[in-house]
Amino acid sequence: MLRYWFGDLTGGSCIPFQSRDPETIARRLDQLRREAAGTTAGIPLRWEMAHDCGFIGSRGEYLQILRDACAIHAEAHLAEEAGRPDRELVQMVRMLDQVDESANLLTERALEWYAALDPAFTRKYRRIRGPQAVSLVRESGNPLLLEMAAGIDRLVGMRVSLAEEIHARAATLLPNSSALVGGLVAARLLSAAGDLPGLARMPSSAIQVLGARAALFSHLRTGTPPPKHGIIYQHQRVHRARRAARGRVARVLAAKLAIAARIDWYRGQPDPAFLASSQEAVDRAGGGR
Amino acid sequence: MIWVDGSLVSPGEGGVYGERMIRGMRAWDPHRSKMAAFYYLGGVLELGPSMRVLYLGAAHGTTVSHVADYVEVVYAVENAPRPMRDLLAVAQRRSNIIPIMADATRPQDYLPVVEMVDLVYIDVAHPAQVQVAADNSIFLAPGGAVLLMLKTRSIDVRRAPEEVAAESRAGLEARGFAVGGPRWLSPYHQDHAALLCTRLK
Repeated sequence: MLRYWFGDLTGGSCIPFQSRDPETIARRLDQLRREAAGTTAGIPLRWEMAHDCGFIGSRGEYLQILRDACAIHAEAHLAEEAGRPDRELVQMVRMLDQVDESANLLTERALEWYAALDPAFTRKYRRIRGPQAVSLVRESGNPLLLEMAAGIDRLVGMRVSLAEEIHARAATLLPNSSALVGGLVAARLLSAAGDLPGLARMPSSAIQVLGARAALFSHLRTGTPPPKHGIIYQHQRVHRARRAARGRVARVLAAKLAIAARIDWYRGQPDPAFLASSQEAVDRAGGGR
Repeated sequence: MIWVDGSLVSPGEGGVYGERMIRGMRAWDPHRSKMAAFYYLGGVLELGPSMRVLYLGAAHGTTVSHVADYVEVVYAVENAPRPMRDLLAVAQRRSNIIPIMADATRPQDYLPVVEMVDLVYIDVAHPAQVQVAADNSIFLAPGGAVLLMLKTRSIDVRRAPEEVAAESRAGLEARGFAVGGPRWLSPYHQDHAALLCTRLK
């Protein structure tokens, strides 16, 4: 039997689909899509079949109903996609990184402005981070610059609540990955992978160098040394490890993360036994020898 | 194809993506569209009002909208959710675009809706683009053509684009195609080559 959107063909005879309503046909398309799994493509249809079947009267009608049904089918898929919590978490992580970048740039600019007012200002022998810069600028007495500083302050405040929310959501969505590397790093890995099923399908070697794209491709293209770690470097057990052990820690951690991501996606529950043995394996990779 | 004052254009309702209008026609920018670049660089493939097109990798519907201006119907296949929204918006205003959310590497998924076509246009970032072309050629009506916009960097970043294109061409010939090209799309698009294939019978 050949099943097309407008009906089923068996031998020479055709049974037209019972409805010409695009919504109903869209549901049939879903059904046919499920049936197509595991098959290979057979014989393409000719629109005249739908006509001979008695399903439609004209070419124009054929295209109009098909187009409406396909659009509804696609919209239903999109609606399903849009409700996925990993999609929003990815956007939140990207927003966080963008806020960081913007706040730093604005702070730098505000300090330059302040330097134009205070001839004694120098950054030598002091570390001026966001909050200090803002309080410094407050002393300038220029109301406009002050307002800018307040804006930067607010941005930094928003960053804090955004980071907290990311933490909380990562703990529910990525319980195992978060337990291994912390919510923020787990969420960044998710963002780099694009979505949770994508991360769950990644080999550990890819997770290890996620976020080290430039180094990875320079290695593939020109043979520079391969990167040892990407985003997972932000996790303290990697960046605090002895230099000689860092690659090993990164490799072991990535291997455990690959498993953790799969549990996160396919099971969605924390696995205490797996976590205990993994934490120990990562610690062992960092110490000893 | 329609040219006005040396610019490629298509007849249709404007304002799809802020394209320039030239004497009431929509300018088809070779920098934005690989298909336009193909024509600007001397590619020959006449689109006509009776043609049916299967377009794989429809993305945001930019090029699709121009193709739809020329032909009878475009079956536009796209797999990614974000671009699909834009494609749906375009399809809503153009009655001859049929938006299909599916994976171009799985033609069995859209077999129930796509008819035999005169042109299969392929612009997908997939390592197995040649296989995608071969698998989708089942939709090709006699005398039809496959226009494959080969993304050499998606196939292998480590090898020279020329080498990748030559290998792809050989792969297509081994699968029973007569291949014209590669026609490189520089300066409009880097490391992209157009391969125009017809079935040998």
